Amino acid sequence: MAYLARRTGQALIVLAVAFTATFVLLQALPGDAILIKFESPELGLSPDQIADIRAAYGADNSVIEQFLHTLTGFVVGDFGYSVQYGTAVHELIGAALPGTLALAGFGFLVAVVIAVGLAVLSTLAPFAWLRSFLRSLPGLFVSVPVFWLGIVLIQVFSFQLRLVPVIGADPVQGLILPVLTLAIPISAPLAQVLVRSIDEVQLSPFVAVVRAKGASPARVLWRDVARNAVLPTITIAGVLIGELIGGAVVTETVFGRAGIGRLTEEAVRNQDVAVLQAVVVLAALVFVAVNLVVDLVYPVLDPRLKRKAVAA
Amino acid sequence: MSTPRITRLALASTAALAAAALLASCAGQAQSTDAAAGDPVEGGTLTYLEHQAYTTLYPPQAGFYPNGGLVNNLTARLTWQDPDSLEIEPWVATEWTVNADATEYTFDLRDDVTFSDGTPLDAAAVAKNFDTYGLGNTELGLTISEAINNYASSEVVDADTVTFRFSAPAPGFLQATSTINSGLVSPATLDRKLEDWGAGNAAEIVGSGAFVATREEIGTSLHLEAREDYDWAPPSFEHQGRAYLDAIDVVVTPEDSVRIGSLLAGQADVIRYVQAFDEAQVEGAGFEVIAAPTRGVNNSLGLRFTNPLLSDLRVRQALVHGVDAQEVVDTIFTENYPVATSELAATAKGYTDESEGLEYDPELSAELLDEAGWTVGADGIREQDGQRLSLTVYEAKPQPLSKQTLELVAQQLKEIGVELTVKAADSGSYAEDILDPLKTPLYHSMVGRADNDVIKSQYHTKNRNTLLSDDAELDRLLEAVASEPDPAKRDEASAAVQDHLTEQAYVIPLFEEPQVYGAATYVHGFRTESVARPLFYDTWVDEQ
Repeated sequence: MAYLARRTGQALIVLAVAFTATFVLLQALPGDAILIKFESPELGLSPDQIADIRAAYGADNSVIEQFLHTLTGFVVGDFGYSVQYGTAVHELIGAALPGTLALAGFGFLVAVVIAVGLAVLSTLAPFAWLRSFLRSLPGLFVSVPVFWLGIVLIQVFSFQLRLVPVIGADPVQGLILPVLTLAIPISAPLAQVLVRSIDEVQLSPFVAVVRAKGASPARVLWRDVARNAVLPTITIAGVLIGELIGGAVVTETVFGRAGIGRLTEEAVRNQDVAVLQAVVVLAALVFVAVNLVVDLVYPVLDPRLKRKAVAA
Repeated sequence: MSTPRITRLALASTAALAAAALLASCAGQAQSTDAAAGDPVEGGTLTYLEHQAYTTLYPPQAGFYPNGGLVNNLTARLTWQDPDSLEIEPWVATEWTVNADATEYTFDLRDDVTFSDGTPLDAAAVAKNFDTYGLGNTELGLTISEAINNYASSEVVDADTVTFRFSAPAPGFLQATSTINSGLVSPATLDRKLEDWGAGNAAEIVGSGAFVATREEIGTSLHLEAREDYDWAPPSFEHQGRAYLDAIDVVVTPEDSVRIGSLLAGQADVIRYVQAFDEAQVEGAGFEVIAAPTRGVNNSLGLRFTNPLLSDLRVRQALVHGVDAQEVVDTIFTENYPVATSELAATAKGYTDESEGLEYDPELSAELLDEAGWTVGADGIREQDGQRLSLTVYEAKPQPLSKQTLELVAQQLKEIGVELTVKAADSGSYAEDILDPLKTPLYHSMVGRADNDVIKSQYHTKNRNTLLSDDAELDRLLEAVASEPDPAKRDEASAAVQDHLTEQAYVIPLFEEPQVYGAATYVHGFRTESVARPLFYDTWVDEQ
């Protein structure tokens, strides 16, 4: 219980630091969203009109005032307005989040399935050449650019073979290609770590004992090796959240999907500070939460860690 | 397990590319979507792919193409400008009178027009629209329309008559009433804050056009439905009554190859922003490429003469004569991008031919630079008193293939000993740096509007001021364009501005920028308004 409280406290500190750092960094950037939107020559506004707008948005208040204003807003769940769209940030995020959650969630699941499939096959497949070929696949997957992969999948499966539409797809159809695009590069590090730890566990003495007792390779893998090999893979899975978010940015843009990634990309392009601030804090929240879950799952899988946690 | 498949995929895509290239090489040409059409058919949903998401539906900020493309279909205007003749015709206004010095306009309105919520579009509603667009509303954050100059007040004469008064002659106002920036929305809509016109609010914007937005997925898609009771198309249109289409799905598809591919694969019907290098592929596959002119200030490079390196007229002239616009068009663009012959497009109002003063003549450039005291240094770049003739320009994201264009211009300028550094910037530094003549001595831009006023918008110090000018004479000439009531004299005033810009070598015009659409062959009656925004009112689709 104390462990949980301490880890939660740490998580809150991480969030506060992320918030402050983002605020400072965004302030340090040249220009601001109002400059980009309203001073752009395209609107043809006169200097007086622009001065009025800056005053109306409070853009020329002191940094401290702006910080306190933003912070109190965040604490009560008010993330302000996007200057680019004019829309409330919580509305933009609310509209974008489900799409990204579905994409990232299924993307991760499919990545796990691919990774486990590769790891199992590369251990159990009949021929040595086939096993070594399967082992080389993650290296290939990890080096495929998400952007390129997305376009190739669309060109082939949607435009040439016409199996799934990209435009006017129903929610399920609309997920198939983006999920694959995201899953393939994410599966690579998972598979690599899983294969390596299976190898290591295979070499440990207790496995030799089980083998000597006459167990089949499949039984050894499932009953004895898998459980031990999965720990490092879970650690990597936690770290992959970052990559999942990065992959979502590209995937959502290529497929024209609504989502946090696309929203972020646009906010960066227009230096829409309110949106960026909210997205960074949200991302930090997800990252912290996932790592918290990973830490809490560890002791369940490995009782030795539970003893340590209690002792500490 | 996946090797064979991957190889097959690679083969399939290579084969597809080869086939596309083959088709492209025997391309046929189609000019408009009206070719070989039968009688219009009512019904159907059109899928239209946009390049970017819209940012606001507030009409004065509809210059951004995704905004304008929507506002054009969601709102009617007082007048309609014929995109070919550029004549102003009745629309919601049946007729109008203008006093001699163009400071007072009176419009008679149709009495049968309603907004999509059923409220009448009467003189009071029109007055409120133009009071907002002409004066702005600081409290609500609503900005003044760039298209309206010198606006003073409105007067509701009776239910279908409204008078507008101006503090100085405003000859551009009549045309301004035809632009998307003057789209008519309901009085209640005008009470919304600027924030409430943004993404997610489309269904609540009550307009007067043939279509109404009913569903929206923020940043991704928008569903427009035809108004059954719409019966006030401009009288010059052959087609009256409701729009032919039942609905339009506007889908934002930022990735070029996906937009083109969707069209060719039959998943989309009309797409905006066909890149020059994709035109052949679209035509080759039997689809139509529609390039609509934007009729304004050409795609060009403004020379900011307040930068000391550009203060010498001879240096600016050398730059103007050192750029080969023909080569830019031949290398990067297509025949849909005519080479500029003036600061204005040849299809723009008030255009005058300036090609003599803009000729490509690198030898003359070299002479001029020699005269100005710039001598060629060791690395081929000219120098004077230890200073290199080195200039900077930022890639302009809104202009098509801006980076490629600027890089080619940089190569051409290198021939005459001028170094041009092409910079890509994040939006924050870009927005800040383009306002500084020292950081951005050359500025890449264009602006579309089918009225003489467009040149004032681009170059006046109180408007876009793209030259960051301190030339009072230029301002004076521009004000003459905006305030000369006599149309013939107004064209003369416009010609005087172009002469001045050319004589002073303030601008390097490159080409006349079109908006390029791609459409399937079963789409008919697709047209654009005078500045190339799509108008779907007449569009219909064949049974496929």
